[in-house]
Amino acid sequence: MDNKLNSLIDKALSRRTFLAGAGSVAAASVITGCSDNGTATSSTPKGSYTDADVLNFALNLEYLEAQFYLYAATGKGLSAADTAAPSGYTGSYTMGTVTTNSTVAQVAGGITVPQQQIINEIAFEEQEHVRFLRAALGSAAVPMPSIDLTFFAPLAALATTGSTAPPLVGFSPFANFNAFLVGAFIFEDVGVTAYAGAAPLISAAGVTSGYLTAAAGILAVEAYHAAYIRTAITASAIQAGSATAYPYITYANNVATLRNSLTVGNNSAAPGMGTGNTGAAGSSTSVEVPLVLPTGLTTPSSIVAADSSHAIGFARTVNQVHHIVYGSATVGAKSGGFFPNGTNSIFATTTA
Amino acid sequence: MANLETQILDDIIVKGRRKMLTLGSAALAGLVFSSAKTAQAAVAYTDADILNFALNLEYLEANFYYLSAFGCTIDKPNAAAIAAGAPSAGIPITGSVGTAGTVTGGSKIPFATTQVASYAIETAIEEGKHVLFLQSALSTAAVAQPSINLGTSWQMLGSALTPSAPTFTPYTSEGNFLLGAYVFEDVGVTAYHGAASLLTVSGNLSAAAGILGVEAYHAGLVRTTINALDPTATSLVPVTNSISALRAALALQVTAASTYDPNPDDYGLATFQVSLAGAANVTATRIVDAAADNTSNFAVAAARNTSQVLNIVTGGGAYNTTTKTAISPATGVFFPVGMNAGPNGFK
Repeated sequence: MDNKLNSLIDKALSRRTFLAGAGSVAAASVITGCSDNGTATSSTPKGSYTDADVLNFALNLEYLEAQFYLYAATGKGLSAADTAAPSGYTGSYTMGTVTTNSTVAQVAGGITVPQQQIINEIAFEEQEHVRFLRAALGSAAVPMPSIDLTFFAPLAALATTGSTAPPLVGFSPFANFNAFLVGAFIFEDVGVTAYAGAAPLISAAGVTSGYLTAAAGILAVEAYHAAYIRTAITASAIQAGSATAYPYITYANNVATLRNSLTVGNNSAAPGMGTGNTGAAGSSTSVEVPLVLPTGLTTPSSIVAADSSHAIGFARTVNQVHHIVYGSATVGAKSGGFFPNGTNSIFATTTA
Repeated sequence: MANLETQILDDIIVKGRRKMLTLGSAALAGLVFSSAKTAQAAVAYTDADILNFALNLEYLEANFYYLSAFGCTIDKPNAAAIAAGAPSAGIPITGSVGTAGTVTGGSKIPFATTQVASYAIETAIEEGKHVLFLQSALSTAAVAQPSINLGTSWQMLGSALTPSAPTFTPYTSEGNFLLGAYVFEDVGVTAYHGAASLLTVSGNLSAAAGILGVEAYHAGLVRTTINALDPTATSLVPVTNSISALRAALALQVTAASTYDPNPDDYGLATFQVSLAGAANVTATRIVDAAADNTSNFAVAAARNTSQVLNIVTGGGAYNTTTKTAISPATGVFFPVGMNAGPNGFK
């Protein structure tokens, strides 16, 4: 590539980052012969941000997931080496603590060997994602924010508000394996959508640097996890024969309903998906797909959380994800829920 | 909102990025981000090429699941398929590019459990929607369905496994069906993953990321259910290990171990040892098909380029290991006369 072109691209990239509020690269371009891609709606937060900001947003979520699964697997969390500010860090965020209570510990209650092994697997993979993002970010990696793993109880109570299901009092995902599945359900579909929403935010330079491929690779892993959780809950409900006999499927769907209510008003999906998932501001179309209890040999299950028109996975904006992990639909919230002091992210304050 | 200036800059970036990609960004990526597997194709594909490549794979997957779940192909839905949500007019197989081929082999699985039956039906409907979506996105650039072998292809594939399974067919039991699905799903994940960084239009990238997610849900579903059907890891699980080893070998034929793809990139369902913060070495399942070692891979799923995917789905038909050159068109196993491609072809 000649120097002139190089220089022009560099100039374009730096200028483009400065103007980042307009959304992802080339949103307005249309490929020849493609009819459905000219209306990419920006799901990008306003203001200037860098690829490091996008990866640090993901790192906050990975801290949360890793702590949850590690406590579930072993009764202990990430080591200090994986949570402290990295050497050379010049940012202003400080390392927080993990809040637990007496009910937060390794999943107990008649757990089988295969069940322990799946918790071990997910814990390991989320731990590795923390390490991966920290390695990728180097000295720019934010330290772990404060995390409250006792928030599952109020979240569960919130989820059953207005539901016909019996209220969940003192819910703990560490009580038994089925409760663990519901706890994991809270996170996994959100992780998938968060990475899908974040991927197009990565700059062209970041794509060349491998950030996009990395984000897509983590997206896939989160979807494998989500599929495990949804399959396990569905299979248990099928074996039990009814949602009454296995109420955890109802609990999970209550969580899905709650997630949706926390983000209604600015739902988003991959653009160009046709009606119902246009990603337009104000769209109230759900990005949640409840689990179903199939009966007999002729009806489908609902393992995949995807748009019903095209079977394409959803995306959530960084803002929508914050509403969910804060457990709050409030605009302007800076903290709450799983993050009592907020995330260590420039996207920490929720917007409309 | 994008203004004129940002649009012009976008245009420059897109053109520049395309050029960067064709000049071998894999090497660059390896320097900056060594554990990210950015396998790049050597051919300068357009977005339409990449989406058409995906469309060929979706024709294959959708027909496999339609035949397995309902006993019909995607273009001729029967009553069972329509009742489950298939479009009553069928899914078109005649695109604007290439001639529609036929599907050979395949038949309805003798389902015995609600679990496996409902999963097969869900997956069939979703893969059919992917075909329709890509056809719609590509419009007049969409390729027709290629010729697809879903019969004797399985015995060809089985013969290549270790230990050899020359009579393998997915259509005789739920367990075998899941093994057939296993062959496709993780490949779909790696293919969309590899495609993501080649796409230049944001809307296409978002769609590819969305389908990538769905393929990974399917893969996770299949792997979870195989583990559940084979709790002692003695019947189905060893076959998954063998299939994964074969896929890794076929992919590595095309792209030798390199700075950006140093590891075998496929893992069966055998359990493995992990080191957790609160516990030294514990045993873990392998629901996620990702290399997971502490030093270089960090549990990020692999990406494969089009050459690697082609070599897998044609059973080695995409690469001449003697002359070390790509074979075009690649033919064999599931694609007996090759994929339907646009003017650039696929290598």
